[in-house]
Amino acid sequence: MNSAIKITGMLLALLFLSPLLEGLLRKFKALVHSRIGPPLLQPYWDTLKLLGKDNVRSVHSMLGPLPAYLSLAAVLLAGLLVPVGGSSAFAGGDMILFLYMIGFASVCVMLAGMDSGSPYAFLGIAREMMTSLTVEPVLFIALITAALKTHSFRFSDMAFYQQSSGTSLSMIISGIALLLGIQAQLSKLPFDIPEAEGELMGGPFIEISGPTFALYRWGFIIKQLIFSLILVQIFFPWTFGLSGPWAVLAQAAKILVVVLLVGLVDVVNPRLRIDQAIVYYFGVILTALVGLVFALVGA
Amino acid sequence: MTKQDILSLLKAKLGAGFMGSTEPIPDQLWVEVKPEAVVQAVEILHRQTVARYLVSVGSDERDIKKRFAVYHLFTFDKDHFFVTLDVTADPHTPQVPSITNVIAGANWSEREIRDLLGVQFPGHPDPRRLVLADDWPAEVYPLRKEFDYSQKPESHPEQAYKFKDNPPGTTVVAMGPYFPVFEEATYFRLYVEGEKVVDVDYRGFYAHRGIEKLGDQTLTYNQIPFMAERICGICGFVHNVSFCKLVEHAADIKVPLRADYIRTIMLELERIHSHALWLGVAGHIIGFDTVLMQTWRMREPIMWLCEKITGNRKTYGMNLIGGVRRDIPRALVPEIRTKINNMEKEWLAVLDAVKDDTTLRMRLEKVGILNKEGCHEWAAVGPVARAADLDMDARKDHPYCAYDAIDFKVITADSNDVWGRTVVRILETLESFKIVKQSLDALMELPEGDIITEIREEIPAGRIAISAVEAPRGEDVHFLLTGGNNRPVRWRVRCPTYPNLPTIPDMVRGEQVADVPIIVGSIDPCFSCTERMEVVDVDSGEIRIYGQEELSKWTGR
Repeated sequence: MNSAIKITGMLLALLFLSPLLEGLLRKFKALVHSRIGPPLLQPYWDTLKLLGKDNVRSVHSMLGPLPAYLSLAAVLLAGLLVPVGGSSAFAGGDMILFLYMIGFASVCVMLAGMDSGSPYAFLGIAREMMTSLTVEPVLFIALITAALKTHSFRFSDMAFYQQSSGTSLSMIISGIALLLGIQAQLSKLPFDIPEAEGELMGGPFIEISGPTFALYRWGFIIKQLIFSLILVQIFFPWTFGLSGPWAVLAQAAKILVVVLLVGLVDVVNPRLRIDQAIVYYFGVILTALVGLVFALVGA
Repeated sequence: MTKQDILSLLKAKLGAGFMGSTEPIPDQLWVEVKPEAVVQAVEILHRQTVARYLVSVGSDERDIKKRFAVYHLFTFDKDHFFVTLDVTADPHTPQVPSITNVIAGANWSEREIRDLLGVQFPGHPDPRRLVLADDWPAEVYPLRKEFDYSQKPESHPEQAYKFKDNPPGTTVVAMGPYFPVFEEATYFRLYVEGEKVVDVDYRGFYAHRGIEKLGDQTLTYNQIPFMAERICGICGFVHNVSFCKLVEHAADIKVPLRADYIRTIMLELERIHSHALWLGVAGHIIGFDTVLMQTWRMREPIMWLCEKITGNRKTYGMNLIGGVRRDIPRALVPEIRTKINNMEKEWLAVLDAVKDDTTLRMRLEKVGILNKEGCHEWAAVGPVARAADLDMDARKDHPYCAYDAIDFKVITADSNDVWGRTVVRILETLESFKIVKQSLDALMELPEGDIITEIREEIPAGRIAISAVEAPRGEDVHFLLTGGNNRPVRWRVRCPTYPNLPTIPDMVRGEQVADVPIIVGSIDPCFSCTERMEVVDVDSGEIRIYGQEELSKWTGR
C-alpha cells in the first residue's frame, strides 16, 4: 500500500513538476537573449495544445504512435527508479533496469525515425546512434563507479553512501563526467546534433506532430528532471547540514543549478558537427574512466 | 594597364576579329568583336590581363540595330574602368559561342540570356533552364520586345526539370525548395554518402518577378528607382543608388554634394544593419540563437534611425535621379551620432566575444573553402572574395557618391573560409561607423537644402552606362542602354548573390551535410517580410499597432 502511494506520487511529480523546470529554463534562456520570454507555465500549455491536435502520420508509417508510448513509458519507469530523499519508489532503484530504460527510450526515437521513411530522419538516426554509442558509456561508467564504491546496484544504497562515509573523490569525478554527458543525453546545444533543426528539421521527429510529438517532448522534459535528480542525489548528495523542509529546498535549489548550468552551456554555444562532438565525448569517457580508476584504488 | 594597352593587345591578338572601339563615357571602353573571335577575346582578358568578369547582358535591339546584342562586361578594378565586349547575334537565328568554358562565372548569364531572349550559346557545358519556370513553354522569350509584360503564356506541366543523376552509392537530401534556415525559395539537391556531400545540384529562380521587363516596358526613368529599391528587402537603397548613378552617368547629371553625402550615410546605415542581420542569421543557422537575439537587438536602433531620417525602416523611397528627396537636417545629426556611437561600442563587444569563441571557430574555420583562383573563375564578389584575400571594393575601385572624399579601409582576410567571411563582415561594419561619422561632419559644413538637381530635358537615347555600387553582400552592377519614351531599352541588374550563389557547389563538395546551411549562409542570401504595420506619433511617442484585419480592410478598398 505504502509503495503504491509512493509510486503514484512519484509519477505525478515526474509528469507535472518537470514542465515547471522547463519553464524556468526557458525564462533563463530569454534572460541571456535579452528577451522577456514565454510565461513560466508555457510548457504546460504547449503540451496541452499539442495533445489537442490531429495526429498527422507519415504515409510510410507502420508503427504509428507506438514508439512514442513506449518511449514515454520507459522514461517514466526510469524515473520511478530515481532516488528522492534517499530512497527510490520502485524496485529499490535498480541501476541495470535504469540503464536499460534510458537506452530503450532512445531506441524508440530511432524506431520512430526509421518508421517515417524520411531521408532527414535517417541522417538524424545515424547521428543519434553515434551520440548514444559515445554518451551512454559515460552514464554506464559513472554508475558502475558508484556501484563499486557502494557494493550495490541499487540507487537507494548509492544515495546514502557519501552521506554515511563522507565525500569521495571518485564519485565527484564521475559526477562531473556525468554532468558533461547530460548535455547530450538531453539533446541540448552544442549536442542537439540528431535533431539539428537548421540542417535536418528535427531529424527523427521530422514526420511527428500533434499528440505523438507531445509525448516525446514530455519525455524529454521528464528526462531533464531525472538526470538532475541522479546527479544531485547520488553524486552530489550534500545537504549542507539542513533538515526538514529546508533540506527539500536545498535539493530543489541544487536541481535548479544543474538545469541552469545545462541551459547556460546550451545558450552560449553553436551546434557542433557530429565528428567534433564524438571527439569531445571521448574526452568525457576518459574523465569517467579516471573516476572508475580512482574507485578501484579506493579513493 | 591603360585602356590603350588593352586596345592594342586585343587588336594585335584578334586581327580581323576586332571590329572597332569607342569610349561612350570616360570610365568605359567599348570593344566590338566578331562572334567567332569572342572566345579568344575573353580568354585574353581573363587570362592575360587583370580583368575581372562582371556579367553578360543580352539585349533585343532588333528595332534599332536589327540585331540581338550580347555584352560581356569586365572591370579593371585598380585602373578604375570597365571594358565591354560587344557581340552581335543574327536577329533570326541568334547565336553566339559560349564563353563558359573559359570563365565558369558566365554560366548563369548565358543561360539567362538564352531563357529570356532566345540567343543560343553553342558549347555551353550545362544548357539547362535557369530562370524560366519549369512549365513555361519552349520558344517563348519574355524579354523580347514583342512579348507584352502582362502576357500569360499557356502552362506546360509535362516539362519537368532534369536534375543530375545520383552519383553511385549516394542518397538525395533535399535542402529546398522551402527549407527553414534558407528563408527564401531555393533548392539545393545534395547527393550524400553518410554525412559527406559528394555532389550538389541547384535549381532556383522560383520567385523571379520580371522587374527588368517592367523597366523596359512600363516604367519611366523617374519611376524605376522605386522599383529598383524593391529588388531586395535589405539592400534596396543600393539598387536604387545603382540605378540613379546609371542615368546620372549616361546623361551627365551632376548631383549636389550634400545629396552625395546623404546617399553615403544611407548606404552605410544599410551596410551596418545588413551585417548585423547577417551575423544573427549565421548564428541562428548553426544553432547559436544568443548571437541572433543580441545582434538583432543592437540592429533595432539603427532601423529606428532610418525611419526617423527617411520615414521608413526599410525601402526608404529617398532617392531620385539627380539627388535625394529628403534632407538630413543639422538638428538630427547629434542624435544620429549618438546612436552610431552606441552601436559601435556594442559592436566592439561582439567582436571581442566572437573572436575568442572556440566552439564558434570550430564550426566556421576551414569550412566552405573558396580561394583566390576560385573567386576569379566564378567572378565572386564582396566578403566572399575579400575573405580570399582579394582587395576589391567598388567604393574604392569605382568611387561613387562621396566615397572618394572619405577615409576608410577595405577589409580583407586570407583564410578563404566561412570564418574569414564572418571576420570581414564584422570589421567592415566598424569601417562603416567611421564613414557615417565623417559624412555627418561634412553635412554640418554644407548648406542645408541643396539636395537635388532636377532633370528637365529628356534623357537622350542610345546612351550606355555601367554602375557598380558596393552592397553589403558584394558589388552590385547595373547596366543601362537608354531608349526613347523616357525609358531604357535594356536595364540589367546583377545583384551580388548572382555571381556568388553558383560557387556553392564548389564550396560544399566534400564537406559534411551539417556545414551546408552555414556555407550557403556565408554568401548572405537575403529576405524580406511584412505582416503588420506600426504607426508612431513622433511628437508624443505614442505607438499604435494596426493588425492584419485593419490593414486588409484598407488595402482591399
